Order: sequence, then C-alpha cells, then structure tokens
Amino acid sequence: MRDFYLFTVIIYSLLILLFLLFVLILYFAIHREESDLDKIAWQHSVAVVIVGVVASEEVEDGLEAMTYEFEKGLDKAGYRNYMIDELIKAKAAFSGSSTSHLKSLYGRLNLDIDSFRKLHSLKWHIKAKGIRELGAMEQTRYRKEIFWLANDKHELVRNEAQGAMVSFFGWSGLSFLDVIEHQMSQWHQVQLLDKLKYVKPDTFEELIPWLESSNVSVIVFAIKLATLYNCHDVYQNVAKCLQSSNNQVKLCALEYLRLMPQADTFDQMISNYYAESTVYKLAVISSLKDIGSENEITFLVNELNDPNNDIKAAAAGSISVLHPLGNGFFKTYLFATAHPWKEIFFQITNKHIA
Amino acid sequence: MTVLVAEDDMIMLKTIEVRLKKDGYHVITAQDGKEALKQIELQSPDLIITDIMMPFLSGLEIVGAVKNKGGKDTPIIVLSTMGQENVVLEAFKLGADDFITKPFSPKELSMRVQRYAQKLD
Repeated sequence: MRDFYLFTVIIYSLLILLFLLFVLILYFAIHREESDLDKIAWQHSVAVVIVGVVASEEVEDGLEAMTYEFEKGLDKAGYRNYMIDELIKAKAAFSGSSTSHLKSLYGRLNLDIDSFRKLHSLKWHIKAKGIRELGAMEQTRYRKEIFWLANDKHELVRNEAQGAMVSFFGWSGLSFLDVIEHQMSQWHQVQLLDKLKYVKPDTFEELIPWLESSNVSVIVFAIKLATLYNCHDVYQNVAKCLQSSNNQVKLCALEYLRLMPQADTFDQMISNYYAESTVYKLAVISSLKDIGSENEITFLVNELNDPNNDIKAAAAGSISVLHPLGNGFFKTYLFATAHPWKEIFFQITNKHIA
Repeated sequence: MTVLVAEDDMIMLKTIEVRLKKDGYHVITAQDGKEALKQIELQSPDLIITDIMMPFLSGLEIVGAVKNKGGKDTPIIVLSTMGQENVVLEAFKLGADDFITKPFSPKELSMRVQRYAQKLD
C-alpha cells in the first residue's frame, strides 16, 4: 500500500514537471515568435529612414521620411535597439558622407543615450554591446566611461572597451595600457594590432613604460607594437626584456631582435643563454640564420655537442646557412659518421629539415 | 536603361534602388539568387548589379548563368566585401565586368552605373 502511494506521488510529480516544462517551452516559443514578428513589422519603417539618409546623403531626407509608425516605435526600447543595430549595419556597409549622416541620425534620435545606459548594466553582454555600439558610431564623448571599462573584470567587456578606444583615437587610444591589471589574450592583441596597422604615431615614447609594465601581456604587446612599427628607438629597452622571468616576453623580444638586429644583438641574445629553456635556445639558434655571420659558427659548432638532439639539429641547420662551405662543413665534422649527427646531417643535406 | 539589383540585405537593396531611380534608371530588385535569375529571364536588364553571398543562388552562379545563356553582352557589377579578393577573381573568370567593394559610397556606385549607361547609349 505504501509502495503504491509512493509510486503515485512520483508519477504525479513527473507529470507536473513535464507540464511546467511544456509551459516554459511554449512561453519562450511565443516570446521569440513575437520578437521575430516585431522585427519584421519594424523592418520597413526603419529601412525607409535609413535609406532616406544613405541614398540622398542628407540627414534631413531621412528625417522627412519618418512615418507615424516610426515615431511611435521610438517609444519602445526594442524598436530603438533594432534601429541601432540597423544603423550600425548600414554604417559598416557604406562609405563616404553617408556614414557621417548615419552617425548624425543616431545622435538626433538620442540613440547614443540608449547605448550609454547599457554601460551601467549588471549583465556583461549588455555592457559589451553598449561599448560596441558607441565605438561603431564613433561617440568619442563617452571616452571617459569607456576608458575605465578597459580594465573591467569581464574579459569581453575589456576587449570591447580597448577596441573602441583604439578605434576612436588610434595610437593615443592605447593609453589604457598604463592602467590595465588584467592580461590581454593573444587573439585580442592580434585584433588591436590589426586596427593599428594603418596608424602612424608621432612618437614612440609611450612604449618605454609599457615595456617595463608589471602586466606581462602589456610588455608582450608593447614588443609587438615596436616590431609592427619597426621602432629602432626602443632597441635597448626590448633587449632588456630578455632578462624577464617570463618565457613569452623573452620569445617576443627575440623576434624583435631578429627583425631589427644591431651590432650587439647576438651578445644580447646569449647573455644568459646556458640558463635558458630549450625553446629559447632553439629560437636563438634559428634566428642566427637571419642575423648571424661566420663569427657565430664557433658557437653553433659548440651547440652540436648539446645533449638535446633538437638543439643539435637546429645548430646544424644554421651552420649549413652560415658556413662558407655550406653543407660541405658536415664532412669535416669530427663525429659526422656517428649517431645522431650522421642522421641529422643526412636530413639537412637532403633538405628534409632545415 | 533597366538595371537589375540582386542583394539580400534589405537596406542595401533599397538604398541602391532609390539612388539609381533618382538617377533616372528603371530598377528591378531581387532579394535572392533564384528571384534574380527569374527577373533576368523575364525583363532582360541592360545592367546587373549583384551581391556575391545570397540565398538559393550565389552572385557567382548568376554571373555564370547570364554569361553562358546569351547574356554575354550584359554588363555585370559584382558587390563584394573586403577579404573576398579570390571570389572577385572567380567572378571575373566567369565573365563579370566590374566589382565594388563594401563599404562603398552610393555616389561611387552611381558613377560606375553612369559609365555603363554612356557605353550603352
């Protein structure tokens, strides 16, 4: 009897749960459908205004095209958000004076205030969207608020804010590097460098404090900037980064030195060579192919005796490039017929490894 | 002169339509590739402006179809986005006459169309 009672309770509970699940799914399906229908209904009135601005390249023409439906729609937050999304899409699709007119329309309809309000949201994705909107519509007057979000605890909010600052002010927008405490991801650094590729800074003075930052990712990014801009002025500062305890910083510095060598580059690279990791050693040996001369052959021949076979192979590869005899050097090497040198030399001579 | 504009983005499509109508052309529009081909067969436009990425049939397929089916002399301008250089080359191989990279200025498009209109005159 007791078992039967328990069984009935379980069945009823499951049925109630299933019913609640059904109601929930139904609610979200209806809500989504309503939202999709709203967008279809809004599409026309919004398009008329945007097309008016872009096609005639006059803001007034767009404002004249405003219908009653459009003006009424502007009372709804959803409609305004849809309008912002469409304006941003249009701004990305067109160039010339239409873009400044689209920006002007965004301001005339006070949509910047909607975007600005999003910066105070407790939800990170809304905050990030607000920054993206203000950035896309070049609303530089909100720079102070966006600047402080460049150090937000949420990575995507920080990334949006940092991206917006660079879009607004180019090189000087990088001033957030003075204050950020959080690490910048490699991918985000790539995106910022991409935004900066056509920017020509007047001075590289800012690089010096960034190269000494307590934030490792700022140092790495500063070295990448110095590399991107072929900045020889900070050569000594970058060379100092080889003393860093962080491997990534050292490898980035090596890459800079490889691309912008000076007379003392090799000495800088090997100042602490024997205490370094294998990755570092391999990077130094490999960079000698580009920056080395016959003077470094003794060092490389010495590296052929390293217990690590990867280092032996890398050293042999660089010797084949730098030695006046090229691959012919291998025949003169004392252990040329012994393992593993025999195999390494064979592979290099036959261009299987370089 | 009749211009067919095939573009799936409504704002882009309407903008081009309004701009070209202002310039005095007769404009036909299509929001997908299938519709575009249908309009081409029905109305034989003098100039075709087509986006590359579209539902059902891509802009490349439209270029191929027009140039292979007796529309060899109908000039086609392809609308591409940045980073689609390979696709643009493919469009040229298929017979496209010109391309415009987004973002573009409506004035620029207007000038290009005018050039083809003068040739047709």
